[in-house]
Amino acid sequence: MTRFEGSANLALIWTIAVVGLVVIYAPPFYLVAISLNPALQPGLPSLSDLSLIWYFKLASERGLLAALTQSALVAALTALIATGLSLLAALGHQELRQGRSAWFMTVILPMFVPGVIQGLALSVIFTRIGIKPSVLTVTAGHLLWAMPFAFIVILTSMSGVRRSWLLAAADLGAGWGRRFFDVTLPLILPGLISALLFAFLLSLNEFARAFYLVGRQNTLPIEMFGKMNSGANPTIYALSGAIFAVSILCVGLIVARQARLR
Amino acid sequence: MAIAIHIETVSRRFGDVLALDRVSLDIEAGEFFTLLGSSGSGKSTLLKSIGGFDRPDSGRILFNGVDVTDHPANRRPVNTVFQDLALFPHMSVAQNVGYGLRVQRVGKAALERRVAEALALVDLAGFGERDVNLLSGGQRQRVALARALIMEPGVLLLDEPLTGLDERLREQMRDEFGRLHRRTGATFVLVTHNHDEALTLSGRMAVMHQGRIEQVGTPRQFFDAPANAFVARFVGIEALLTPNSVDPGGHVVIAGQRLPVTGPAIPGALVAIRPDRLSLTHMAEGDTPVTLTIAEIKFRGLHSDIHARFADGQEVIVPAPVDMAASLAPGDPLHLWLGQKGAILVAPHTIPVP
Repeated sequence: MTRFEGSANLALIWTIAVVGLVVIYAPPFYLVAISLNPALQPGLPSLSDLSLIWYFKLASERGLLAALTQSALVAALTALIATGLSLLAALGHQELRQGRSAWFMTVILPMFVPGVIQGLALSVIFTRIGIKPSVLTVTAGHLLWAMPFAFIVILTSMSGVRRSWLLAAADLGAGWGRRFFDVTLPLILPGLISALLFAFLLSLNEFARAFYLVGRQNTLPIEMFGKMNSGANPTIYALSGAIFAVSILCVGLIVARQARLR
Repeated sequence: MAIAIHIETVSRRFGDVLALDRVSLDIEAGEFFTLLGSSGSGKSTLLKSIGGFDRPDSGRILFNGVDVTDHPANRRPVNTVFQDLALFPHMSVAQNVGYGLRVQRVGKAALERRVAEALALVDLAGFGERDVNLLSGGQRQRVALARALIMEPGVLLLDEPLTGLDERLREQMRDEFGRLHRRTGATFVLVTHNHDEALTLSGRMAVMHQGRIEQVGTPRQFFDAPANAFVARFVGIEALLTPNSVDPGGHVVIAGQRLPVTGPAIPGALVAIRPDRLSLTHMAEGDTPVTLTIAEIKFRGLHSDIHARFADGQEVIVPAPVDMAASLAPGDPLHLWLGQKGAILVAPHTIPVP
């Protein structure tokens, strides 16, 4: 292997990398550690009394579980709709000539509007036209948040679809639909999956918009925020730990799949 | 069935650029026709109009007498080998080749048989399961050809398909085009900027420049009577000399030397000297002697180029065997023979020559 860096630089680079990783990963791991402490007060457990008690208690926390379900539902809806709409927006972008960058900016714009303002604005309008806050109102708010990201992800994957492939398909007799399903879709599928995941996570995480738009059932971030304010119950550490574990599991599965494909 | 193409005053404008300027052209059924021109000459736009990828602003395109101007690409009996080949990267060789038939919903057995036949036609039998991304440049060319030819098109369009190949492969594929043209009998339309390709392959060809067709004819006609100085240089006649005077009797005087010429005596005409009719040896009765001065000798590998000048400094290049050139030196006089019809009067071209 070629080495471009001197040893001193290499040591510096590694130090920065390690410090960075520690700063990023230490807090969530600390949270997991707390969740294994049977005591009521948050703190690092001694190795002798590690316990899963809070994880078992989680099962009886109806409020948290309902919020988790609600969040999952909103995130799933957001992911599907955002990906679908972004795909259409990206296909439009591909066909446009002059209005291209204007269209791009229009779709991207909501990304730059602060969540508190967007949430407030939507909430005011929904109240005005008499739409009751529900799963759908939160989803609407989350769509504005997630769609620009999904759009960019899909657009990036679409830039890998050469125009001449579509011309060749047309040349061989394929109409618009076949060109899309035979050429574009298979080539951008990884991008669509990324967009789905991205939108799902963005929605799962979102607080500001949801805060204005939730109906009777809170989403998870709002529920957790409320719980923290009313005196932390260690079950929320267990919930954090569980979500963290699921995330790691997902990433692990993706890595394993890629390793198998290679 | 081969298709005859009739192009009628087709124009196409892109912003300020007139890519096609009232182009009219007839391509006969089953011929190998080449559109030759430099980039920006409009040759690719014309090809796209034939293929249905671009709609002309005005004019009509007819296939065997039927107006197809408004037919999109997927409904024309035309197939194309694209410049970048445009092989689908997510499909195997067989899937690429069979794509057009799958679109037509041809049954599995017939599909497999025809794919195998098409692959055999381009010498790729047994390559069906290969990944197109792992093929060599020449093999990819053949896949693109097979994918187009399996459709049994009335017209096959070749959009600079040899650019980007090395010299050997280029020659090999050139022969392949000729062979496939004879085998399929389809009308082939090739777009290229390489005059060698055009001259070796075409039955007829057209030289395009700035959206217009400068000349149409058989490759021989381009040498016997180039329409103007631009065309002459484009097909490889480099020596374009300015005469001192032109006699109506078919002679010109260049730097005091009288040479017989063919072609019409247009005011301001230049004299094109065919390199194949300028020789170091006396070849035939009626050759005219020309005496020049050697300016420079350049070694070219299998031969040497002798740059020789008239007394007024105008230059011609004569290829010579390396050994013979070695016995000459700059400043020496060079005795040449100009063959019959070796000098042609051509109209000047106001547009700068590349």
